[in-house]
Amino acid sequence: MTDAAAASVAATAPESGPEEILEVKSVYKHFGGIRAVNGASFSVPRGSITALIGPNGAGKTTLFNIITGFYKGDAGEIRYEGRSIFGVRPYRIADHGMVRTFQITKALAAMPVIDNMMLAAPQQPGENLVGLITRRRANSRREAEVSEHAIELLERFNLAAKKDDYAGTLSGGQRKLLELARALMAQPRTLLLDEPMAGINPTLGRRLLDHMHDLRDNQGVTFVFIEHDMDVVMKHSDEVVVMAQGETIVKGPPEVIRSDQRVIDAYLGGGGSRDEPGPEARRAPDVEEGP
Amino acid sequence: MADSLLLGISTDFLTAWNFWIGVGILAGIYGIFTLGLQLNVGFTGIFNFGQAGFMAIGAYSAVVLVVDVGIPFFLALPLSMAITMLVGFLIGLPAVRLRADYLAIATIAFSEVIRITVQNARGLTGGNQGTISVELENDRFFSETWDDISNWMSTNLFDPIGLTGTDFINLPLLVVIWLSLVVLAFVLARVVRSPWGRVLRAVREDEDAARALGKNAFSYKLQSLAIAAGLGGIAGWFLVLAQGSVSQEAFEPIFTFTGYAVLVIGGLASFPGVLFGSFIFWAVYEGLRALELPLASDKDAALRFVLVGLVLILLMAFRPQGVMGKKEEMVLGD
Amino acid sequence: MEASSVAVEMSQRSVLARFRAYAGAYPARVFLAVMGIFAAWLVIKYGLHDFGQRTVNGVVTGSYLALGAIGLTLVYGILRLTNFAHGDMLTLGAYIALLFNVTVGVPFAVAVAAATLLTAAFGVFTELVMWRPMRRRKAGILQLVLMTIGLAFVIRNVIQMIAGAGQKRLDVNTTETIDFIGLSIGRFQLIVVIIAFIVLVGVALMLRYTSLGRQMRALADNFDLAETTGINTERVVIYTWILSAGLAGLAGVMVVGSIGSLNPNTGFTLLLPLFAAVVLGGIGNAFGALAGGLVIGLTQEWSTLPIEPQWKTAVSFLVLVAVLIFRPQGIFGKERTL
Repeated sequence: MTDAAAASVAATAPESGPEEILEVKSVYKHFGGIRAVNGASFSVPRGSITALIGPNGAGKTTLFNIITGFYKGDAGEIRYEGRSIFGVRPYRIADHGMVRTFQITKALAAMPVIDNMMLAAPQQPGENLVGLITRRRANSRREAEVSEHAIELLERFNLAAKKDDYAGTLSGGQRKLLELARALMAQPRTLLLDEPMAGINPTLGRRLLDHMHDLRDNQGVTFVFIEHDMDVVMKHSDEVVVMAQGETIVKGPPEVIRSDQRVIDAYLGGGGSRDEPGPEARRAPDVEEGP
Repeated sequence: MADSLLLGISTDFLTAWNFWIGVGILAGIYGIFTLGLQLNVGFTGIFNFGQAGFMAIGAYSAVVLVVDVGIPFFLALPLSMAITMLVGFLIGLPAVRLRADYLAIATIAFSEVIRITVQNARGLTGGNQGTISVELENDRFFSETWDDISNWMSTNLFDPIGLTGTDFINLPLLVVIWLSLVVLAFVLARVVRSPWGRVLRAVREDEDAARALGKNAFSYKLQSLAIAAGLGGIAGWFLVLAQGSVSQEAFEPIFTFTGYAVLVIGGLASFPGVLFGSFIFWAVYEGLRALELPLASDKDAALRFVLVGLVLILLMAFRPQGVMGKKEEMVLGD
Repeated sequence: MEASSVAVEMSQRSVLARFRAYAGAYPARVFLAVMGIFAAWLVIKYGLHDFGQRTVNGVVTGSYLALGAIGLTLVYGILRLTNFAHGDMLTLGAYIALLFNVTVGVPFAVAVAAATLLTAAFGVFTELVMWRPMRRRKAGILQLVLMTIGLAFVIRNVIQMIAGAGQKRLDVNTTETIDFIGLSIGRFQLIVVIIAFIVLVGVALMLRYTSLGRQMRALADNFDLAETTGINTERVVIYTWILSAGLAGLAGVMVVGSIGSLNPNTGFTLLLPLFAAVVLGGIGNAFGALAGGLVIGLTQEWSTLPIEPQWKTAVSFLVLVAVLIFRPQGIFGKERTL
């Protein structure tokens, strides 16, 4: 990493703050008559890797959406770095340093890979119309910086050769990597990954996990990820939170979770799980988020 | 010039200067109009169907400021621009968060409200039924300043090279319009490749992805609409200068739809395409009008609109990227 | 937080927040109350007679708006197609009736039937030739919207090429009026209202109680899910177009009957009020469209009391905009989320 890039990362890394970087307390959310999240509580220690697991329809992605501001919860408390972010708009939450990826990858296909990456960099004076006109030199300097940082990251993910190709031409696995690399460009303090391993081959997956550990060990980035691959969960997480039917039923280290009867029941029993609207039933909302 | 005939119909007009100058002026005006649509549809993903309304505000505010309020021409223009962009911003506040087709309906509704207001608010716009004229009794002309410039240009630039006479009266206007169009297109093309434009293009495809990366999608959509409104307003000024007097009929939704026809012919996500599309559209449209087919005038006009409709249908069905559009950059919504 | 503390938190919200919650839960009641208050104010200010007359006019307008709106909302609900050509299908029906009634010379009832059937056939034609192939190709919203706009241009202007741009009249008596309790209604307008109501009730019953109606509603609710339950979607879609276009054609004839004359733009000028009715009632909801049509008709006519009549249409546009801002799912629509 270049000096400039390393410096900008260090500059945004707060050393102090509550030990629990993310606290979720008694969150509830219903859609029509369905209780998608029915009392979820957990907290995430700073610099840890936490896995959020549970059977399909348990409410995991819905909870992610609520935490990151894409849905408004009906009740509960969510604190990030000690500040309440309940009901805060998603772009502000991302600004605070909590970046998320999506279950269905959102690589921006109509933009070149390099644009995808540069989009994510924080503090770009050129993103502001006024800044575009008045701060020309600062803008071109930052563009050069961002571009360099982006290419570096792309190299680590083996995507640098494709940097000028439109993201739509990438394979599914490559798009997944792009989404992750892009999330990293945003220099997050906390990364929320929704099924990061889904659809990638094991080699790529291992590289991703290595990256995750590297970021956590060397830069103190906190990870929360939703995952179905139990192998990954057991081997790579410090802490596991289990959800079923909208509730967080068990929390603890992986070894403890593995043999907890309640967890086994949740996966085997399954009946009557709160149905999260799956991707097929999704339709665009009539009103999108306001400011 | 020998008479030229095509299937027994005179095609003399094809070699007439004033025909092409007329086509050029229309193409230029609607080119500027459609630059706004391209920014909205091709680069932000918002389906602005109210552009005719913004054109109306630009036209009427400029004329009222000069003729009724008495503000000097070159002060009135920026003021008119500010007013138009403000209206665009205000309309955007509730409209821009709606999903695609609702946004289309809402913007048409706003555009019609504007037009009906202009038609009926005698106190504000004067004239009968919303017709504004370039001059008023107390000898204040909207186009007075422009007429001076135009005369200067004719005398000093065009007469010396032989482009003189009644055929070339509107040549200065054509030149100024196209100069503006080219400069605006160039600036816009640069801006969409800037960091600001990058965010805009991300919002175009997937607002949630943009938000997850810290971008305020709502604000960007609002800015895009306000800028497009401003461009519509500029087109409005030129329309008044070109026609001398303008009535509210010139701002019916059909003209927004015409802008969309220009947009899709030229191609989405291409600013040069707008220039191309506008020229082709108006050359063919005016050409058909000049052909003087053996049809009654209302049916003649109807035939042309049937063709416009067919062009829209066929292009969208078989070549949605138009002539110069970038297929990879086209986000047609889902 | 247990349920009780949630309740506590909710009751601590401001009056405004509680009103909004109530309005969110019981939108129809709140809306009716607002209409009622408005009506009462009008009666007090302008007198029962003027109000009554406007109400009669409003019901006439509302009934043909309702007919048109049902078709528009069904096509949207089932096919997710915002049909900007719908207004011109009303024009098409009206001109077909004109053709049969004036040029060919058949009795009016036959002309109405012809208009309804032929417009329905045209709707099916557009489905087979345009919409089904585009659905197969997974066309985007912009493509579809622009195609409907292009279709609108074509319909309207082909009619104009054939019939000219001038005003035309049907060969029926539209000037005779009936007077009752001090109010008057055109004899023909009364026929329009009666026909409209019979048809609307019929359509409502069909949607509610027949299996086809249930299938239509299932598709409107969730197209992909309904497909998996074995419904023959292509067949239902065809029936939807028959119904939608047929009602549009009928509505077009009713419009001419009420207004007295028509020109090629008549249908298109109704498109926005139709959208207003559809959005007000909740897009995709046929009963909502019915109610929405009546409400828009009444509101437009009532508004001519306090405001000059030339602003009439602007009123419905403002209602549309207000609904889109404050409650885009309409009175009867559910708040949709991902």
